[in-house]
Amino acid sequence: MVYFIFITFFCLVGGLAVVACNPSPYFGAAGLVLSSVAACTVVVEFGGSFVSLILFLIYLGGMLVVFAYSVALASDPFPEGIWDMSVGAYFTGYLVFLVGFLAVFGGDSFFYNFGVIGSEASGFNVVRGDFEGVSLLYGLGGAGLVICGWGLLLTLFVVLELTRGMSRGGLRVI
Amino acid sequence: MSPTIYMIILSTLATGTIITMTSYHWLMAWVGLELNTLAIIPIISTMHHPRSTEAATKYFLTQAAASALILFSSMTNAWNTGSWDITQPLTSPSHILLTMALAMKLGLAPLHFWLPEVIQGSTMTTAFIITTWQKIAPMSLIFLTMNNLSTSVFLLMGLLSSLVGGWGGLNQTQTRKIMAYSSIAHLGWMATISSIMTNILIMNLLIYLIMTTSVFLSLIISKSKTIQDTTSTWTLSPTLTIIMLLSLLSLGGLPPLTGFIPKWLIMEELILQNFNLLISMMAMSSLLSLYFYLRLTYTTALTLSPNTTQTKFKWRFYPNTSTMFIITPATISIFLLPMTPLILL
Amino acid sequence: MTPTNLLMYSTFSLSIFGLSMHRSHLVSALLCIEGMMLALFITSATLLSTTQTTSLAATPIILLTFSACEAGTGLALLVATARTHGNDHLQNLNLLQC
Repeated sequence: MVYFIFITFFCLVGGLAVVACNPSPYFGAAGLVLSSVAACTVVVEFGGSFVSLILFLIYLGGMLVVFAYSVALASDPFPEGIWDMSVGAYFTGYLVFLVGFLAVFGGDSFFYNFGVIGSEASGFNVVRGDFEGVSLLYGLGGAGLVICGWGLLLTLFVVLELTRGMSRGGLRVI
Repeated sequence: MSPTIYMIILSTLATGTIITMTSYHWLMAWVGLELNTLAIIPIISTMHHPRSTEAATKYFLTQAAASALILFSSMTNAWNTGSWDITQPLTSPSHILLTMALAMKLGLAPLHFWLPEVIQGSTMTTAFIITTWQKIAPMSLIFLTMNNLSTSVFLLMGLLSSLVGGWGGLNQTQTRKIMAYSSIAHLGWMATISSIMTNILIMNLLIYLIMTTSVFLSLIISKSKTIQDTTSTWTLSPTLTIIMLLSLLSLGGLPPLTGFIPKWLIMEELILQNFNLLISMMAMSSLLSLYFYLRLTYTTALTLSPNTTQTKFKWRFYPNTSTMFIITPATISIFLLPMTPLILL
Repeated sequence: MTPTNLLMYSTFSLSIFGLSMHRSHLVSALLCIEGMMLALFITSATLLSTTQTTSLAATPIILLTFSACEAGTGLALLVATARTHGNDHLQNLNLLQC
């Protein structure tokens, strides 16, 4: 189990390093998909299976699909992967940064504290804690739900207003 | 933009700031900042031309990064201390991160590069909103977390922003960019005092808001986009030239006017705390700001530029912008100095 | 520093370095912002199970909602930039420089 967690941590950080090292957007979107799948696994390992499901459905299923679609806007004739010179240099630099970060701040406690310390990570539970917590949005945290709904409605107006092409033609070829 | 959508967006802009100001939990403060950012984006890009789209993009990228940094610093703090309260003390890496993020939201000196460009790309009214209303939410967060932020970082940033605000504005001919650099310089003075005495910070913020309102309203009325445009202010309204001259000198901080109060009190407080070198450098850098304010007043009120016969009859027409709102801010930004003992709480 | 702390610090710092250092496309800058939101999500989701405060479980949901709002606005800005500037290279956003 510990090695499995280590692999997911590695995938998460590695995927974000691919996003950060400025490749073509195709590879960036692929790296973000990899790291968000790893993030779902990490959250499950920490005992938040419902929150992980939300992350999987909304973030990976909804938003990243839209992102992968939008990457088509930035169609490079010669996409740069991490094997190219500048991107590879950045990638190596970030890996060196990560290893240094690990060496300075990891310390002795790195393998000592390793393991799953979540509330319901071990054993079988009928009622999930995070499920109860999310249901607070329908009760005491109702104001949060109202604000979230208002934010989404506002985003609809904002997006429509930003992409409205007044005199420039609504359906121009982008 | 349709009036209904405009009303919804403007009310959300106000609501976001108010949520941030009244929140007790870091998540709600972040939500307020996000609502605020989302609402100002379509206002910036109302005109749909390339410059306004570019300004909206730059504003979005910087503000999204800064608010994510604010939430990250508070979340790591919650990891270490278990507390989500805004007013609780912050642990070691979080308070530096929070200081940087708030400085990025405000546009303090090492992180100021977005401010002149965003203001240049938007309309005069939007620039007015960005330099006044958008400063309130981060300033209230600074006010709430005053004891926990990094004092040395703020002193350094304050000095640097007043220098950058002075030097950056010297070479500009666009009034909006001049106002952006003036905003950076004033925020530098506020950042300097923010970690030492917060009641002076609040008073400085109020006086800055009122003075900027007065100058921006007179620029809006006279439709002055560049320094060159201010030369024909006298043909529109001779009274406006006097108001603009006094408001600009007040913004520069000359003694009989309101703008002198915060500079005076900040200098007094910092000398009391033995920051002699810092405050003398800041006073010198405010002379740089005063130079470009003086240049604006020179073209506005002190010279009569070459003109044709018809230009001087412009004042006979009824002005099509409302001049009513300038009365109160102009009066306050000119005459408030004798009231200093009353407004300093 | 526990490995979980190390994970969240390294993910967030990677994303914000990537955003601030060298970007050629606007869409990849937006991907970096999404990476920051992912790091914040992991931080808050592991916080609630580590400290066993289940009432914090609404935090990741609210966070995810507003990151969706941000992503939508960012993509709308991408479309607007592609319309006005022709492509989404960040080098082309140079009309307002001093």
